[in-house]
Amino acid sequence: MKKILIILSTIMIIIIFNSCNKDIANTKLDLIQNMIVNKTWYLDYSIIGNKTQSYVGQSTYFITYLRNRTTKDSDGLSGIFSIVENNGKFILIVNTKTFNGNNLSYSNTIESVGDMKMIQSYISTGKTEKTMLYFTSK
Amino acid sequence: MRTLKLIPTNFILIQIILFFLNSTLNAQVLSKKEKDKLYLIHPGQERIRKIKRTLSRPFVNFVGNELYLMSSLDLSKQNINDNGISSPFNYIYNSVNSNTFKAGYSAGFRVDGIYKQKHSYSLIFALNRITTGNKYLNKYSAAPFLEDFTHFKADNQFTTINVAMHYRKLLPINDMNKFKFYAIAGPSLDFKISNTSNDNLVAGSGKRALINADFGAEFDNNGYYIIFIHYKLGENIKYSSAQVVLNRFEIGMTIKASDLF
Repeated sequence: MKKILIILSTIMIIIIFNSCNKDIANTKLDLIQNMIVNKTWYLDYSIIGNKTQSYVGQSTYFITYLRNRTTKDSDGLSGIFSIVENNGKFILIVNTKTFNGNNLSYSNTIESVGDMKMIQSYISTGKTEKTMLYFTSK
Repeated sequence: MRTLKLIPTNFILIQIILFFLNSTLNAQVLSKKEKDKLYLIHPGQERIRKIKRTLSRPFVNFVGNELYLMSSLDLSKQNINDNGISSPFNYIYNSVNSNTFKAGYSAGFRVDGIYKQKHSYSLIFALNRITTGNKYLNKYSAAPFLEDFTHFKADNQFTTINVAMHYRKLLPINDMNKFKFYAIAGPSLDFKISNTSNDNLVAGSGKRALINADFGAEFDNNGYYIIFIHYKLGENIKYSSAQVVLNRFEIGMTIKASDLF
């Protein structure tokens, strides 16, 4: 009887303490991907240093990310995107082509993302100030 | 003439007695297969008998066990403290926060009995479909966005298997020969069997086991049925970055299984 109880207790403890071994990093990437795709994101605010620019209620920049990893924005740039993790930060890499067929690539850090709101940031070449972009999906 | 008359009567009587003896003898005769069975050892049956004896030995003090079927309405709310975790995710506070109790349900069975002829107990096995309201204790802002946010979204619908062991204290209320009122207390364990969402997993809150402290009252109508209200206060067994405390009220009824089947 003791043996049965010990075996049952051991099984219970193993189940309880090993109930979740899913890879968290990949889970985060999947979740970010699911949150941003199949939506059009409109730029509401941009902040450079202490200067805030609002585009709310105005004709503004927008970008669409699709589940097949293609993207198209209001400037007419279309291409592909990917999200990678680098030292705990999630980087959105966009490779596009201009109307003229020239390649244009950029990468923004995803500071925060949700179903409705997204904050991206980047530092322009030759500058030290971070540019923050505040998007809302509609 | 008289003798002649008696002979057939006796003959008939003897015949009847012989007939019954014969039939009795026939009934006692065993077939070859049956005879063999008596001498054969049945290792399977022996093992089952042995296991039954072994299992019943530690439970000799648990007597008067009655099986009941139970079902209940569950009202649940969870308090979520994300402990200020840094996370790249945002959820609009007003869309995820609903500081209310929401309804779910559970069904299962329980065994009621008495330990050492003195202490009343119930052992419950149930399947719960839980839908909870959520109270997020922390909210964050991300100016110039006007909305408040949380960095963690807990699952608010899940299925668990619940095992509970309750001590039942008879309360001296009313005529106790007719109706009995009990106060109950005891621990219970919930194990989530439904899938955990990615939102719930990312903050390291994918723990499936919850331990609860249960309190409540029960009304027993002469053992035919029991109406109960239980309060359960539960928390994840293993530490997770976001602490989720689950409050539940179970309002339900049990019916003796032998009365139904």
